[in-house]
Amino acid sequence: MKMLFAETPAPKLNLGKKLWLLNWPFLLLVAGIALVGAGALYSVAGGTFEPWATRHVVRFCIGLALLFAVAFSDIRWWLNGAYPLYLAVLLLMLLVPFIGVESGGARRWLGVGELSFQPSEMMKITLILALARYYQWLPPEKIWRPDALIPPLLLIGVPVLLALAQPDLGTAALFAIIGGGLLFLAGVSWFYFGAAIVGVIVALPHAWEMLHDYQKERVLTFFDPERDPLGSGYHILQSKIAIGSGGLAGKGYMMGTQAQLNFLPEKHTDFIFTMFAEEMGFIGAVVLLALYLVALVFITYMALRCRSMFAKLVAAGVGLTLFAYVFINVAMVTGLVPVVGVPLPLVSYGGTSMLTMIIGLGFVLNAHVNRKVTFRRQEVRALW
Amino acid sequence: MRKWSKRAKALHYGAKKKPDYTRKQSYRFSRRALLVGAGQAGLFGLLGWRLHQLQIRDSSEYRLLSDENRIMMQLVAPARGAIYDRFGTVIAEDKENLRLLVLPAFCKSLPGTLDALSRVVRVSSATRSRVMRAARRQSGYYPVLVAEGLTWRQFALLNVLAPQIPGMRMDRAAYRQYHHGRPMGHVVGYVGMAGKAEVDVDPVMRLPGFRTGRAGVEKSFDPELRGSPGNIKYEVDVHGRVVRELDSKLSTKGRDLVLTIDHHLQTIALDRIKEHRVASVVLMDVLTGGVLAMASTPSFDPNAIAFNPDPKEWRNLARGKDNPMQNRAVRGQYPPGSTYKVITALAGLSAGVIDTKETMRCPGSYAVGRKRFRCWKAHGGGINVHEAIKQSCDVFFYETAKRMGIDYLASVSRLFGLGRTLDCGLAGEKPGLIPDVAWKRRALFDAWYTGETVISGIGQGFVLTTPLQLAVMTARVATGRAVLPKLVMSEEDQFEPWPLLEVDPAHLEVVRNGMIGVVNELRGTARRSALQIPGVQMAGKTGTSQVVSSRNEHKLSPYERETHALFVAFAPADKPRYAAVCVVEHGGGGSRAAAPVVRDVMTEALLRDTANRPAFVANNAHIVPAELASAEGTP
Repeated sequence: MKMLFAETPAPKLNLGKKLWLLNWPFLLLVAGIALVGAGALYSVAGGTFEPWATRHVVRFCIGLALLFAVAFSDIRWWLNGAYPLYLAVLLLMLLVPFIGVESGGARRWLGVGELSFQPSEMMKITLILALARYYQWLPPEKIWRPDALIPPLLLIGVPVLLALAQPDLGTAALFAIIGGGLLFLAGVSWFYFGAAIVGVIVALPHAWEMLHDYQKERVLTFFDPERDPLGSGYHILQSKIAIGSGGLAGKGYMMGTQAQLNFLPEKHTDFIFTMFAEEMGFIGAVVLLALYLVALVFITYMALRCRSMFAKLVAAGVGLTLFAYVFINVAMVTGLVPVVGVPLPLVSYGGTSMLTMIIGLGFVLNAHVNRKVTFRRQEVRALW
Repeated sequence: MRKWSKRAKALHYGAKKKPDYTRKQSYRFSRRALLVGAGQAGLFGLLGWRLHQLQIRDSSEYRLLSDENRIMMQLVAPARGAIYDRFGTVIAEDKENLRLLVLPAFCKSLPGTLDALSRVVRVSSATRSRVMRAARRQSGYYPVLVAEGLTWRQFALLNVLAPQIPGMRMDRAAYRQYHHGRPMGHVVGYVGMAGKAEVDVDPVMRLPGFRTGRAGVEKSFDPELRGSPGNIKYEVDVHGRVVRELDSKLSTKGRDLVLTIDHHLQTIALDRIKEHRVASVVLMDVLTGGVLAMASTPSFDPNAIAFNPDPKEWRNLARGKDNPMQNRAVRGQYPPGSTYKVITALAGLSAGVIDTKETMRCPGSYAVGRKRFRCWKAHGGGINVHEAIKQSCDVFFYETAKRMGIDYLASVSRLFGLGRTLDCGLAGEKPGLIPDVAWKRRALFDAWYTGETVISGIGQGFVLTTPLQLAVMTARVATGRAVLPKLVMSEEDQFEPWPLLEVDPAHLEVVRNGMIGVVNELRGTARRSALQIPGVQMAGKTGTSQVVSSRNEHKLSPYERETHALFVAFAPADKPRYAAVCVVEHGGGGSRAAAPVVRDVMTEALLRDTANRPAFVANNAHIVPAELASAEGTP
């Protein structure tokens, strides 16, 4: 029975079957969250679809097409392509300091004509794929060995360091969270995580020295926003005022005073949750968070149902990404963590982050469609 | 026992049997995924708790803070102080400026509104793109300036059309008008939009159309002229519209300034030097230090710059030939040439290296080591100090300078106001240069040579002075007091005489007599420029300074090769009241180009008796509240 399980030939899937296997309720939920985003952007713009709401919807539709393309593609392609993709994106990240476009004191963007994109965004997905690929290949009995931990730590460490060098603290933290979470899910011993935590506590003072002044300033004002209410603490303070003044039921759709009167910075991107919470109140904010939580439950459920380690880890990894985005963003605007510039996925205005998230969800659905697929040892070994 | 059981197990399951790690890993994944899921749910709970804290528990507190955010304060621009000349003629004043603004938030469509407006006022494509950009960048409730300086006809027409053009606003602000612009331009300066650095210092600079002094007196006295802004506190509704006015503080008009300049003399001075390509004149009252005229050609009209400047015209002014924007009187640095001999003579006398009786022979050149320095003519024998000044003999001063050394000469020069800025009240004054041994070592890393001392004695070499410095030098020689120049009348009525210089009055007398000889005696270098007023004599000194060494002469055009012409003078000779300087760049000889200008300006000043007539006193006693002129809803 056990042997049979491992050697079940991959079920042949045609498009019709795949359509049937797709998790449609989940897709509906995702579309619902994006629509909430469009509504919020409509309100932020002062009751017009221009300039943000329309483009948000258009981008979501383009993203949806990509999501379907990813979801219906053969999972083996991604298994085979995980490492080359990772290396290609890593190369792009390396190139950013040289040919990147500077904006706001940091070089994060690569420009190709009119288009510009952030390789570090793509890295979030390729990192998940590469790690999943590694643990698919690693024989499970070797997972406890310390030398088996070296390649995945390299896979995580290099992009973290590159992101720190850009400098982009938020992205580096996201890489670390995603990578660490995947190692944990893959079954790396608790012992290593304990050691890592001790190591971080020891290394923290040194890391503090290496931070840029503006990053230090952000952390310091986070601990005491009133320290500089018109300077760097301004964002947090104004955001808290806006959220707090919303109360239980909110000021009503398009009635938010703080966001509308421009007391809020970046109200259509990183601080959109603030405006949403101001207008919709505690009830609206909790409902939005509940939508995300339901999406996360869906993703965990789909990950559990997958047979192959690769599919499990890909789905769970994207779930981790979604969670990290939502948590950091909401914690940031409510003053729980420093302002690091992380958007609220599917709701914030912004092309690259939306595309990343939606492609990631495409991979979740891909894993779900291919939940019965397993890979034979030889098949995996033959690659690389 | 243990051994046995293991073996038994092995027998039971088959020899190659081992634990199913794949299965184990899968179970572990499930366990840990659920654990992570529980952690995520817990952290979401934390967010929920935080939202509860902000929105339920402390909500009333934040609501209060948010209400404070709804009160907007609007600054009201103060009226700028006026500038008068010494007899009360208005030179610069604020005039009503009718402006057209749009509030993008209230426009149905911004391009449509602009189209409608363009039927009444000119809306260029540059203006259009500026307005569109501003509307995109900032909140739609900030007014954006479309046009200013509207005629009454346009203003009335737009007011009639207002109900049909949504988002349009009219207001009355102020613009700066300059009278007698061209002669007064360099002195009075002009106003312009505040620079970025200034905006960060003072929020009033953010008001649309607010202008600050960019040059001249407008710049150096900007803090006094500017006044202090008022403010109005508004309560605004959720859309930023004004509900009611809560509180207001009136703005205070800036202080009115009275210049020491007489615009009449200034006009005459400029007219007189217009024939030259680049020249400047300074006329000052030697008793008070007040500058009566300070003209520099080429000049400009500040009206062309301060309000709606034409970019092409502005480029011409800023980068044009001969730099019309440069005030040569304080920013032109010239070798003083023979006018500097006044200082050399005084320094020689007070150092004791020469006395009034000593005579020298001028063979037409002077040898230092193997180098020969020429005199402009062979004066022959019997040249004493008086004759040397009168006939401008170089050899006499070569020898004098060599005897006393450069450091002593430099210290006397500084005593007479050379080599430093004088803070007359104009921004951008240049310090000139009085060289000494320490300076050369510091700046050129080189030792000082005797030959350099010798040519410094006749105001060549490294020595540089501005026309204003020469005027102060002349005034100090004429009075023996430490006169300092000023352009703006002081508030105090009582005038205190300047402190005496530490110079022997007898030596000053010798030099003054020499200067009288220059203009009034036979063989004086400026004899042709004697005053035509009976009973009044002028004392002066010509200067012709070489611009390039003979070695480099061939590289330059004939104009550039020509010497600078200088003339310094004071009058009346027996009871000095006025000191005047004229410098004509590449004007040729001082007696030919510069002295007649000084004579004419001096004559006019003496006939008008400018310095003795009572000056205008601005009425700054009562503070006039400025008109509240600003757009609705300006934050």
